[in-house]
Parts: sequence; C-alpha cells; structure tokens
Amino acid sequence: MSSKPNDAVIDLDEQLLKEQEVGYTWEEEYKRSWDTLQEDENGSLQNAVATLNKKLKLKRKIKDKQASQRGLLRYCYIVFDCSTNTSERDLRPSRLELTLQVIEAFVLEFFEQNPLSQLGIIVVRDGLAKKLTELSSNPTDHIKALRDKQCRDPSGSMSLQNALLIAMNILRQVPNYGSREIFGILGSLTSNDPGDINQTISEIKNEKIRISIVQMAAEVQLFKKACTLTGGVFSVAMNEIHFRELVLNFIIPPPILLEMYNTHLVEMGFSIRVYDQIPTFCSCHHKLTLSGYLCPRCKSKVCSLPVICGVCQLSLIVSPHLSRSYHHLFPTISYKEISTPEVSINCDGCLDSLVNLKHNLSSGGSNFDSDTTRKHEDVFQCPNCKKNYCLSCDIFIHETLHNCPGCVNMSNSLQN
Amino acid sequence: MPSGTGKTISLLSLTVAYQNFYADKRKIVYCSRTVPEIDKALAELKRLNKYRNENGCPDEGFLGIGLTSRRNLCKVVDARCRSMTSPWVRARAQNNEPDIELCSLFENLSTSPESMLMPSGVYTMDDLRDFGGLKNFCPYYLARKMISVADVVIYSYHYMLDPKLNELVSHEFSKNSIVIFDEAHNIDGICIDSLSIDVNLDKLESSTRSVDRLIDIIADVKKNDASKLQEEYNILLEGLKESANARDNDMVIENPILPDDLLKEAVPGNIRKAEHFVLFLKRFVEYVKARMRVMHVVAETPSSFLQHLKEVTFIDKKPLQFCSQRLASLVRTLEINDLEDYWGLQKIASFATLISTYDEGFVVLFEPFESESSTVPNPILHLACLDAAIAMQPVVNRFDTVVITSGTLSPIDMYPKMLKIKAAVTESYTMTLTRSCFLPMIVTRGSDQVSMSSKFEVRNDPAVVRNFGFLLVEMSKVVPDGLVAFFPSYLYMESIVAMWNEMGILKLIYKNKLIFIETPSTAETSLALESYRKACENGRGAVLFSVARGKVSEGVDFTDNYGRAVIMFGIPYQYTESRILKARLEFLRENYQIRENDFLAFDAIRHAAQCVGRVLRGKTDYGLMIFADKRYARMDKRSKLPSWINSHISEEMSNLSTDMAVSSSKHFLKSMAQTFDQSLQLGTSLWSPEDILQRKKLKSN
Repeated sequence: MSSKPNDAVIDLDEQLLKEQEVGYTWEEEYKRSWDTLQEDENGSLQNAVATLNKKLKLKRKIKDKQASQRGLLRYCYIVFDCSTNTSERDLRPSRLELTLQVIEAFVLEFFEQNPLSQLGIIVVRDGLAKKLTELSSNPTDHIKALRDKQCRDPSGSMSLQNALLIAMNILRQVPNYGSREIFGILGSLTSNDPGDINQTISEIKNEKIRISIVQMAAEVQLFKKACTLTGGVFSVAMNEIHFRELVLNFIIPPPILLEMYNTHLVEMGFSIRVYDQIPTFCSCHHKLTLSGYLCPRCKSKVCSLPVICGVCQLSLIVSPHLSRSYHHLFPTISYKEISTPEVSINCDGCLDSLVNLKHNLSSGGSNFDSDTTRKHEDVFQCPNCKKNYCLSCDIFIHETLHNCPGCVNMSNSLQN
Repeated sequence: MPSGTGKTISLLSLTVAYQNFYADKRKIVYCSRTVPEIDKALAELKRLNKYRNENGCPDEGFLGIGLTSRRNLCKVVDARCRSMTSPWVRARAQNNEPDIELCSLFENLSTSPESMLMPSGVYTMDDLRDFGGLKNFCPYYLARKMISVADVVIYSYHYMLDPKLNELVSHEFSKNSIVIFDEAHNIDGICIDSLSIDVNLDKLESSTRSVDRLIDIIADVKKNDASKLQEEYNILLEGLKESANARDNDMVIENPILPDDLLKEAVPGNIRKAEHFVLFLKRFVEYVKARMRVMHVVAETPSSFLQHLKEVTFIDKKPLQFCSQRLASLVRTLEINDLEDYWGLQKIASFATLISTYDEGFVVLFEPFESESSTVPNPILHLACLDAAIAMQPVVNRFDTVVITSGTLSPIDMYPKMLKIKAAVTESYTMTLTRSCFLPMIVTRGSDQVSMSSKFEVRNDPAVVRNFGFLLVEMSKVVPDGLVAFFPSYLYMESIVAMWNEMGILKLIYKNKLIFIETPSTAETSLALESYRKACENGRGAVLFSVARGKVSEGVDFTDNYGRAVIMFGIPYQYTESRILKARLEFLRENYQIRENDFLAFDAIRHAAQCVGRVLRGKTDYGLMIFADKRYARMDKRSKLPSWINSHISEEMSNLSTDMAVSSSKHFLKSMAQTFDQSLQLGTSLWSPEDILQRKKLKSN
C-alpha cells in the first residue's frame, strides 16, 4: 500500500497505469488482456469494467485488522545489499539505485508514522558489513548518509551473517521494551559467510530480534528461514512498484511477539519549545542556536525531536508524536459490506448517491440500464455508527483518515 | 507426473477399496523400486487404513506388510544368520550337541503357532522391527512368513521379476492376486538384468578354489559318513524334490531360470554322483578360463557356445541345465553354512544353467579389453539377455491382473511392445496444478545464436562447450540455492568440465555457487551430496554435476531449495558402441519391429525425463527444467516426453536462446516466490467432498 497521503485518492486509470508500469512494453510477455473481459447479454463491457474496478479497490481495502498490541517504540536496522549483484538492471534504474530511492522514501515515511522509533543503516559489500548510520530518529542524517557516493558503487559479494552480527550487537543493548528489528533489502542470492549463519540466526532469535527481508530476485531458503524463525516477513518483489509496496509495508509496526507480551511503563519527557533571544549551545550538536526544545528534567536544550536527551537520557517527545503513532494501535474498525437497501441512499462520506455512483464511474454509458447496476453496487456500513459509505470513501477513511467520521461525530454529540 | 502428487495413495486406495468390496479379497502385491520408496508406500497404506477405519470401513483382519532384504530387517548380525538358522544346525542343536549357537529370535518365531503371530494392521519397516522386538521374533522371517497371508504386500520388484527370488518368496501367491509395478519406467532394464550374468577372472578364480574345497569335503564325508551321499544319490535318482524345510530359510542356491523352464525329470546320470559332478564343474570352469584367454572380441549365440563346448570338453547340454539344481542339492547334503565363499561357483553354475536353457533372446559376448583404447586385458564374458519379455511373461501369465505404472511412462505404447504383453487398458493422465509450478524450457542456442547440442560431431566444439558453460553461469546467477546439472555420461562430463576449467567458466560459477560432482564411487557421491545439501541450507548455494542414469538421477530427490532448477545438457543416449546394446537393438528390430533410433530416443528421453523430474517433489514445490540441446525442439523427441511435462512446454519456450531463458527464469522464480495460499488449491487441484459429489453428478448426467 502506498502510504503517501496524496496517493490515497484512488483513480482507476492511475491504478491501471501503475500496474502496467512494470518495465518496457516490449520486454513484457504477450498478454491477451481482452480475453479476461466478458461481454454481458447486451454486448456491453460496462459490467466487466466495473467488476475489474471493484476488484482493484477491494484489493486495497485493508483486511480486517485485529486491534493488537504493536510495538510503537521500534529500534530498527536497515541492511541493504551493495554487492555486485545489485548492479543488475532488471529493476530499473538498477537494483541498487532503486533500493536507495525507496529507502529514502521509506525513511521519511517511517519517521512520519513512527515518530518514537529509531533507525540505523548497515551496508553490505565486498563480503563485509559496514554501519552507515547509528540508531537515531533524525531522518536527515540517514538520508545524507545514503546520498554519499560510496554506497552507489556496488562491489564484491554479500554476507548476511556479518550484517546480522553488527545489527545484533547494537540491538541487544537497546531497552527491552522496544521492538527490535532488522530489515534487509537484498539483491544477492547467496550469502558468503565467515561462520555458521544458522547459529547467528538462532542467537538473534534468542535476543528477540525480528528479521524481515525483501528480496529482489528470488526466494532463498536461508533468508526465508531467518524471517520465519524470528517472526518477520519474507517477500520477493515482482517489479519496481511491488518492491516499493513491500518496503513501505514495513512502516506499519509489527505486532508484539508473544513472549514479550508484558506491559512496561516508559519514562518520557514532553519537552517545551523555546525561542531564545541570544543563541545558546544545544546539547546535541554543541552549536549555537536560537530555537530548540528543553528537556523537562535537566533543562538542557536539543535541536530536534524526538530524541534521547544527551544529558539525562530521557526520551524527549511532544504529544503529536504519540498521537501520530496511535492509529496503529487502534485501527479504524472495518466496515461491513451490506446489500443495497431498496430506498436510495447517499454515501455519508462524499454525499454521492450510492445508486448513481456506477453511472459516474462509467461515464459515457448513457443508455445503460441503471436497474441492473443497482444490485451490484456495494455499500459499506460502519458497525458502530451505522453510517453508509461507498468503497472509495471506505478506503480513504482506512488508509488516510484513520477515524470513522460517523463515530467521531457521535462521540462529539454525546459530549455536548 | 512427479512424486509427491499422490500417485501411490490413489493406486492404493482404489485397489484396497476394490479388494474389500468383493468377497474373494484378492491379494494385492505392490512392487516398488527402492527401500525408501517401499517404506513410503507402507506409510501411505497405514494412513489409508486409518482413514478407512475412522470413516466406517473397518476391515477386520486387514494385514499390510512390507519385505526387504535381511540386511534391513535382521536384528542380529546378518552374516551369522545363516549359520544360526540352517536346518542341520538346528537339528544338531536338538540332538543336544554342545557349542551350537542358535538365533533365539528365529527359534521363537518357529515355535509359536502361526495364526497367533500378528494382529491386523499395516506394518511399516519400523513397526515391524518394533513388533519383532516386542515379541522376540525375527522381523525378517516374520515378514517372510506373513506375506503369504497378508492382504497387501509391498516389496521390491526383484522379488517378483527375478526368477531366483520369485521362486523363494512369491511362489505361494494365488493366481488372482493383483500385481502392481510402481515406478516401472525402467522395468525392461530390470527384467533383462535379472537374467544376465557377467563372468570375469575373479569369479573364475574363486570358483576354482571352491571346486577344490568341495573335492576335499567330499573325500572327507566319504570317509566318515558315506551313507549321506548315497542317500542323496537315491533322491536324485527319483527326480529332484525340494525338501520343504530347506525353503524356510533360504538354504538353497537359487535357480536362475524361470519355473516354467525347469525340467521335471531326474538329474542325468553323469552328474548324479557327487565326485562326478564336482569334476564336471571343474571341467566347465577350466573351459571358460580357456575361452577367456582369447584376445579378440567374440559374439555368438548360446547354441554355438554349447556346440564348441561339446567339441572341446564333451560336456552335454542336458547336465549343464541341471547345474545349479545339482549344486544346491550338493551344498545341502554337505551341510555347508558359509555360502558366501561359494558365490563365484554359484554364478558359474547359474551361467551354465542359463546358457543351456535359453537360446532365443540371449547372446554370449566376450570382451577381452575394457575399452577400445586400453591395452591391459580385463576379459569379461557376458551372457546378456536381450528380451525383457522373458522375465515378464511368467508374471503376466501367472497373475490375472498386472498393473504397470510410473510418473514417466512415455510413450506408453512402447512398453506393451517391449514386454510382449497385451495391455487391457492403457491410460495416461495429466496433472492439475493450481499454479504452474514448473517451467520446462528448451534452450537450443547460446546468446551468440550458435546452436547447442551434445551430438557426437559437435560435442567437443569449443563454441558448443562455451555456450553450455555460459548457460550454466547465467543460471547460477539467477537461480537461488540448489541447481543440478545432468550430463549424458561420465566421460562427457569429465571432458566438458576440463574444458570449462580452461575457459575460466568454473571460476565464474564459483562466484555464485559452490560446485560438487557425482562420481562412480558411492562414498564420494554421498559425501558430495551431503555437502551440496549443506551449501543449499546455509545460503551459499551450490551446483551439482551429475550424470543421467547415475545414482543421483534415479534415487535422489531434490526437494524445495535443494533443487530449484535442473539443467539437462544434451540428450542422454546410451553408449551406442556397446556391443550388448547393439545386439539388443538388433534383436528388438528383428523380433519386435522397433527401429533402433526409436528405441534409443525412447530410452534417452525417459532418462532425461527422469532427471528433470527430480526437481519437483509435490505440488507446493517449484522448479525450472531446462533441456539444453537443439534436438529437444524437434517433434520426434518432444513427443516422447511425458505428457505432464510436454503439455507445459509452451510454443515460445520451445526454442530459446540463453538470454531469453534467463529472463523467463527470472520472472518465473519471482512469481513462484510470492506467498502461496494453500486454500487456493481447493476446487482445482484439491477437491472437497462437495466437489467430488458435484463431479459425480455431472458424470452421471
């Protein structure tokens, strides 16, 4: 799922275009796309188009999400492959270039949705793993490191074990209430390891670190095993779009592992923004700055949030950070598909008539019998507030808004 | 279709249901190839029985049992078994002679009443061993005893096809038994092997020694207990009677010919006396030795061999026919326990009996040198059976129902022809798959458009070798984990690997994967296989070079990541210069009207199919099958592939160059790596009871 807010307004054409955007047309297999379309009795294709359209949207409709406990404080290392295999151009512009682009987008989006989490980056090349950035919650640091020349030059082979060892040694030091994750983006099909990688994987499992991997070429049993053993996800990208989707999927925090299922109270400081008349030194970069945030405990100044106070080790945040992470914990309830009522009703989201909706979509089919479409139209109802929505609104609410407007309205009126 | 798709269970459930429906309860004899396969079939049968019991079909007294060699079942030491269970040793023990060790397990078994022996159920090999341990029975002899009363018997097909073993093991089966041959794609080869004998200098030397020892023993016995020999003489005079108790414990030297060809008359006079017979044997051995000194190749029919034999040594055909029977009787009379020392003589006796009994369909071939180029003589005398029908006929005649099945039985009309049987029903089934989980590709040329072939004229052409090499290099880049490459022969594999080494291709492969090679040595090969598996496990990836018709191609499965792709380099034709093969081809052409080329192509393609079939073990597995030879694209070869493979070769995949094959492979591997929901199989390749009922309704309408 693309999670850029402005992408969430779905358009059929755009979606179709995206699906097709898998490479140059002449490299594609010859597809008889018209064979999948079936004309109805009237010889019209409108029904077929509508079904296709619906299918696409239903795919986007997120499956029933259980309200589960998710680790909002994530400590995550991204491992990306920079071996010679990543210079392959089967994913355009090349596996490595694409990886870098997507990681950049990922980093931004990650902190947008997981402001309390920390990221680090490890690059693997020449059989060695190198820590590119330390764990931190500052997206600009990571992006700067990624833009560095040296990670654009693939060479040598890949060693997953080396990368895992580095990540493990850091992650085992982070507080145990956080969710520890390693996220690999690999293009290589082999792992040239100095020792027994299976042992490393079981150590990682004992440390309750989760490994997730997106592969760019094919399924490697070892990678898959590493993921399934540690409770992560293994996936293989079909094409550029799919690759992006798979990587961005990782933004949603994973459910807490069962063995870690106990509650912790975490100390956090809600810092206050200050504008000084005279520049003062910040505790993070030791530079003279005018504005910043004050730690409520030791009153030292930091430049950006969220961060761990360099003086008293308190996690500093502001309240919007918490609230932004919140929707992962309490996902909007899934709407139920209901049969179309006899009386004409309007969508409570876009106020469009739920009956005429099909006509709007299939503009041009003027002599189309609206009675036949009415039966196929989908209406989704919120089980709490019993408001009805069309499919497009349903998706917008669940992907972008994260609040059911009907329910919010109801609770507001109750308070009043 | 590949294994793991439910062939065995379908066969078993159908036949068991049939068996239980009719009152006469026909016995099912299920023959399979290897011990693991037998055990798997037994496990399936066990599950089937459990299912039937749970779903309202309790079969009272249903007994399913498997049989393998003593080596796999015996709890004591295999080698000593014979000396602890032979009838004369036991008789001596009954007479309270001191220092005689008996096998307690065997004694327990023979003393307890037979009907009490085994509760009903299905016994896998482990179950059988456990049961034997519990009751203190010898599992091997228990199985041997029980197969005559069991409802389903699962064993290796040597017990059925090999006349020596059939006589021992399967002679009690009734005529209406249902005989099933599974994995029978190579059944003609087994039929032929069971009736062919090679004699080399080793065996001859050993038999000379045995004969000398026999002479000593006879002289000894004559001094001490002449009545024994006289008794034997009397028995032989009456005609040959097998003593019943001897059969209980394999204490006979097996007769290599078929029961129908056994002569039902008295042993000829000139070999009735023990000392005469031994001298007769000695003369025959010396004659064969003299023949071995010839330095040129001889090929003749059995009758011309006998003719010459008669001219030189005055040995007649008649006594020769009785050779193995007479030897068996002698061994019994002399109470010889260590039969292993007499294996050479046994072989010679079998050779004598076979050559004098059969004329049609056999050839005697003498080769003084191992290969054309070698100068050190290593003479071998082959008695080669050319006609698979000889061993198959008695089975077909004896039993009412014989089923021959395999995953790669194609073209199916070849088999009735070769085995000289009239098939009542021939049916070939395709396979339903939810996703097309294998991708067969025919690669005909390299990226430089030079065609690839293992044809003799071009096989060592550097351009061809290089193209083969680069196909492997490219594939090793794309395919994850395990990759298996098959070559037509060891010889070709050696030469091509040497050339790849010079060209630096091996180094390129080594960047992506480790390389392991199958050799003729079993120990080396199993070590290579083990390391290969390890490399696939830990993500390093590996390539296994192996040979069609080798051990790997026949018995080893490459499940999941152990084999994501198989490349078949060239077409695995047999070595056509082999004289035995030439003789067989001629025989097939003259007697069965099968053209040489048809048979060779059929044989090559069935082995190629066997090789590529290794990659797919079950419906959730996936893998690439690459046929790298331009000749596969021709219709005469393609049509011989099993239909489940052939129907998946689409037109655009049948004439690819290396680069095209690589890009299709990439796409295939990516799409196969997507998570596969088992529930998707429902309705297509996995039917619920409702689906079956619906189908039934459709059919009846």
